[in-house]
Amino acid sequence: MNSFANRFSTTDHLRELKRAQANIEDDEFSDAAWGSEAGFGSLAKGVPTFSVPAVPDPSAFLRLHTDDHADPKCRIKIQHGTTTLAFRYKGGVIVAVDSRATAGSYVASGTVKKVIEINPYLLGTMAGGAADCQYWETYLGIHCRLHELRNRERISVSAASKYLSNLVYSYKGMGLSMGTMICGWDKTGPAIFYVDSDGTRLKGDLFSVGSGSTFAYGVLDQGYRWDLPDEEAQELGRRSIYAAGHRDAFSGNTCNLYHVKEDGWHFIGNYDISKLHYDGPDNVDGAGYGYDVRVGTRS
Amino acid sequence: MPDMVSIGQPQQRQFNPYSENGGTILAIAGANFSVIAGDTRQSEGYNIQTRYAPKVFRLTDKAVLAVNGFAADGSMFVKKVKQRLEWYRHAHAKDMPLRAIARLIQTMLYSRRFFPYYVYNILGGIEEDGSGAVYSFDPVGSYERESCRAAGAAQSLVQPFLDNQIYFKNQRPPPGTSNPTHLPLHEVLSLVIDSFTSATERHIEVGDGLEIFVVLAKGSTTQGLENFANVQEMTQTREGERMFNIRRNLKRD
Amino acid sequence: MFLTRSEYDRGVNTFSPEGRLFQVEYAIEAIKLGSTTLGIRTDQGVVLAVEKRVQSPLIESSSIEKIMEIDRHLGCAMSGLTADARTMIDHARVTAQNHSFTYDEKIKVESVTQAVCDLALRFGESVHDEDAMMSRPFGVALLIAGIDEVGPQLYHTDPSGTFVRYQAKAIGSGSEAAQAELQEKWYSQMTLQEANILAMRVLKQVMEEKLDQHNVQLAQVTPQKGFEILDETSLKAVIDQM
Repeated sequence: MNSFANRFSTTDHLRELKRAQANIEDDEFSDAAWGSEAGFGSLAKGVPTFSVPAVPDPSAFLRLHTDDHADPKCRIKIQHGTTTLAFRYKGGVIVAVDSRATAGSYVASGTVKKVIEINPYLLGTMAGGAADCQYWETYLGIHCRLHELRNRERISVSAASKYLSNLVYSYKGMGLSMGTMICGWDKTGPAIFYVDSDGTRLKGDLFSVGSGSTFAYGVLDQGYRWDLPDEEAQELGRRSIYAAGHRDAFSGNTCNLYHVKEDGWHFIGNYDISKLHYDGPDNVDGAGYGYDVRVGTRS
Repeated sequence: MPDMVSIGQPQQRQFNPYSENGGTILAIAGANFSVIAGDTRQSEGYNIQTRYAPKVFRLTDKAVLAVNGFAADGSMFVKKVKQRLEWYRHAHAKDMPLRAIARLIQTMLYSRRFFPYYVYNILGGIEEDGSGAVYSFDPVGSYERESCRAAGAAQSLVQPFLDNQIYFKNQRPPPGTSNPTHLPLHEVLSLVIDSFTSATERHIEVGDGLEIFVVLAKGSTTQGLENFANVQEMTQTREGERMFNIRRNLKRD
Repeated sequence: MFLTRSEYDRGVNTFSPEGRLFQVEYAIEAIKLGSTTLGIRTDQGVVLAVEKRVQSPLIESSSIEKIMEIDRHLGCAMSGLTADARTMIDHARVTAQNHSFTYDEKIKVESVTQAVCDLALRFGESVHDEDAMMSRPFGVALLIAGIDEVGPQLYHTDPSGTFVRYQAKAIGSGSEAAQAELQEKWYSQMTLQEANILAMRVLKQVMEEKLDQHNVQLAQVTPQKGFEILDETSLKAVIDQM
């Protein structure tokens, strides 16, 4: 646990950068190359290390080459995730997300899994940099497992989210981008924590993250109650993601729906958002969420 | 001579270690095979540097990696992946399974999160359960298993074609039938060739040569390969999986 | 006999003229002071059993932990200085989790054993900035049981960093008698249940106290349920069948 303590003893990212720089200048081949640790990955010491360019301001370098909001012509297009939501009610936690990833204005993928299954009773959602979320939430997963082995008890949602929040806070200012909800069921019941790369960590009943979140909130807020029946809660999640997929250009394709109950999470289904528009979740022709645009009869 | 030096506004110089070398890569997974292809042109701006720079590499008996983007980063990355595969073989006395390679590539790409490799990777091959698989990556390591994926200069030309022909997007099956979930090898190979000949016609950075790798799972037939002239078997061991390399010409203008 | 060794048994970094590292050999001796621990491999899974020495009625026997989980498919039993084992098992756990993080697969039993043995040799003076783990060898032997794509396996590791695969192995104070008994009774077609019973019988023979569900611990690793320590009721059922 000493490495853990050291790891978080400073939040100064310049020091972090210096350490990483020293690492690459030291030697590409660390001890790991020669011992039998070789096969055990770059993580042999338990903390991943990162290469950093040898320039005065590495985060400006990164921004120059990867930030497609600031400069659409930048070379390296990192995939971005978009509408995610989660809410807590008496029957557990509903997690619903879309599946579109965009790189600039190109739809890089329509089949992204934006719900990350950290372990059988913890889910994380993905908004912001797809790689940041995937990598750090997987990393969180192994630490939750270690917590479980060391303490003979499952980690609480609060502790897991705080671990993640401390982790990303130590990289603050270096260009990570993630907005995630850590959802699960622990001794305190259903729980949701919102964690982002700025270091924010919030406990709450209802969150939506991403460019389509405003549209999702619109539907979510008007339909939410604590004592929703399970069916209606799932429908609310699905309907909210549909609304975001419909009105936000950066969201769409399909909706993935999860329900966290006392015995862990359950995957409810994957729904094509255009099919929801026309046929609804039960695939009945004409029973969709959409409406007919009436210009035809007026003009 | 001070007057020779133009004294104007201060100019800012930036560290720019990246370039873009064009080309396109593509991979399609079948039920028990995987096809990974790339063109062989390498260019910088409007200059063609070479007509044969391979972008597709054999990693193990059942894994092939295609890299596209900045060629120098790409070749370095492939070299490092191969090194890690070798270390793994020594440490664990087996070849790395495909899904392990996929995760390894994620961690390797992500370890350069703050100084990224400018590469788009597509990994194709056979999983432990014998199914064909394709994994696609973004430059910093987000990844996903898919049925097909095109990346590189002509990705926006090729991917919509694949969506239509492989996922049957915006196609309605004839009444009483359904769309197949996996296509047979000969159909996949003709889709790959059509993708590249079309991309060559409409994209200046694509052309010269086409290199296709075919990985077959244990016990699957070579039916579909007999129509090709330049088929070379690359299988190294006789454990069951077989790997073939097909080379064809693309237009060189 | 100690007189003749006294020149060379002080430092862990000095070989004797006969080519021996006495501190490592003494560490191996330390295991023989530990309680008896044994493991049996069968085609259906691996069994680990330990004697818990409850020296006083005031000891809460449930707090004595000599079998630990490394991961779902890996378990570990110890004998010797059990405090040393915690460091090694934590290392094994971290290695197993790092492996699954980097490769999205379960670590092999042999690989995790190798990792533990690498740690066992990290004693002595540290090279430049490298974090020195220990100033002396670990005084503990481990039986690592697990299941991977090769099937059920049982490994024995000792303070010299050597590891060997066994079908059945006993370590600790009663190990000589127990090993002889295992050698006689073990056969390759053994079922898991038979192995459980054999493990209890062997422990019963070498224990000074009367064996009951409070002073032994039994664990198994199976393909279906992974690693599990048998609770007192299932343990009692095995003991009753003896």
